[in-house]
Amino acid sequence: MKAKFNTKGFVNSLFFSLIGIVAVLILWTLGVNYTTVGLLLPTPMEVLERAIYTMSNPIGRTNTLLMHLAVSLRRVLVGFTLSALCGVILGIAMGRFKMVEAIFKPLFELVRPIPSVAWIPLAIVWFGIGETAKIYIIFMAGFVNITVNTYAGAKQVDENMLGVARMLGANELQAFFHVVIPSCVPYIFAGMQVGLSTCWMAVLAAEMVSSTEGIGWTITAGQENGDMTQIFVGIIAIAIVGLLLAVLMRWAERVLCSWRVRGK
Amino acid sequence: MMKERKTVIECRNVSKTFYSMAGDNLVVDNLNFNVYENEFVVLFGPGQCGKSTILNLIAGLEKPTGGEIIVSGEKVTGPSPKRGMVYQTTNLFMWYTVMQNVEFGPKMQGVPKKVRRERAQKYIDLVGLKGFEKHFPVKLSGGMQQRVGIARAYANEPELICMDEPFGHLDAQTRYLMEEEVERISNSDRRTVVFVTNNAEEAIYLADRIILLHNCPTSVHKEYIVDLPRPRDYTSPDFLALREQITAEMDNTL
Repeated sequence: MKAKFNTKGFVNSLFFSLIGIVAVLILWTLGVNYTTVGLLLPTPMEVLERAIYTMSNPIGRTNTLLMHLAVSLRRVLVGFTLSALCGVILGIAMGRFKMVEAIFKPLFELVRPIPSVAWIPLAIVWFGIGETAKIYIIFMAGFVNITVNTYAGAKQVDENMLGVARMLGANELQAFFHVVIPSCVPYIFAGMQVGLSTCWMAVLAAEMVSSTEGIGWTITAGQENGDMTQIFVGIIAIAIVGLLLAVLMRWAERVLCSWRVRGK
Repeated sequence: MMKERKTVIECRNVSKTFYSMAGDNLVVDNLNFNVYENEFVVLFGPGQCGKSTILNLIAGLEKPTGGEIIVSGEKVTGPSPKRGMVYQTTNLFMWYTVMQNVEFGPKMQGVPKKVRRERAQKYIDLVGLKGFEKHFPVKLSGGMQQRVGIARAYANEPELICMDEPFGHLDAQTRYLMEEEVERISNSDRRTVVFVTNNAEEAIYLADRIILLHNCPTSVHKEYIVDLPRPRDYTSPDFLALREQITAEMDNTL
């Protein structure tokens, strides 16, 4: 069950991924220092210095960099949790009950192709520029992915295994919780992985349109003040947090779906 | 002594037709046989002859279109934990550990945790999987997975265990090993077993009685009582003679 950690392979892959990052940083620095690109870009060192500076000094009125990130993360977690709850319930219901599928599938197929940013104007009109509008936009972004995947999972449940459970004395409800739900879990996780990334993207889009705080707002504020360094700090912070969220989800999947992993 | 034996399965004039748009398909035609308590009966017949359909009928997963099947005095109307099943494709719950798979039946029927754990452990030990309780099936070999399937069926303590070509997917070596295992298990925990196979050697090695089936639509062609001493020797002259006889007779069913 406990995978033996492959130290050599890990060091190797870390080394090669660092090569790529370091190469970009060097080219970036050279470009800024020796070409006209320098008029439009700060150097990586300037971005790093600013990032460290804004850890303890506010961007805008009161919030430091980490506080802006926390504001955005809180919005994402609320929106994502709601979308996961609704998506899993609707996905399983559509996959397992013909009636629910007949009613909700056409509606869902209509909502599905709408990009989450298209909800921004509507959300502002409906909910104002407060938290509710942003959470609604995040919700729509995650909800679609999670529902689609859960639905696919609920459709592929092996009917044989339901028969096996019944032969062993399980009633309908027990068969549902011991067969249907576990066989959907890997699909739900695939949906949640994509969902969490799209939620993170959506919150930034929402904050760039209407807000007074959040990591997305720091970018818009940087643009308005002509502060390229602040824009870069925002972009890189978004990238790093996005990456961390993805790693966190993959780790959760490995723990919860360990039964699918072959080998020692 | 023979007359005192309790009848566990009675198949009375059982027929099964599968209806479809392409036409009706008669698979089981007027099947009659009995299985007695603690008897190891092998249903033996050519491939695709309807052996698995007969097991599904006994298990209650399919309904006969004619006649009736009575198990322990009750007519079969649907699946029941009183009848255990071991499948060719193992059909384990891949998301549960070996222990969780084996204790599944008792758990569904509300057996308290301590009791069902003890019972599951007994059968895990019996099939030789001690130490693998916390493993997931995906990490086990085909033979070990099938042991889990057998333990899971036994742990429900059914009146009757149906085994549907349980070793059909295994390599020859593992298959011999598993046949010895089944022999050993049914010696230490005697139950009524209906075992389906198309392998004559396996049938003679395991059976108290072999029911040779007709090709499709199937019914009982002939019965053999195997009274060779156990454990049986695949290469003994009596074994080989019986094998010759049964294989020759099977050709007559085609």
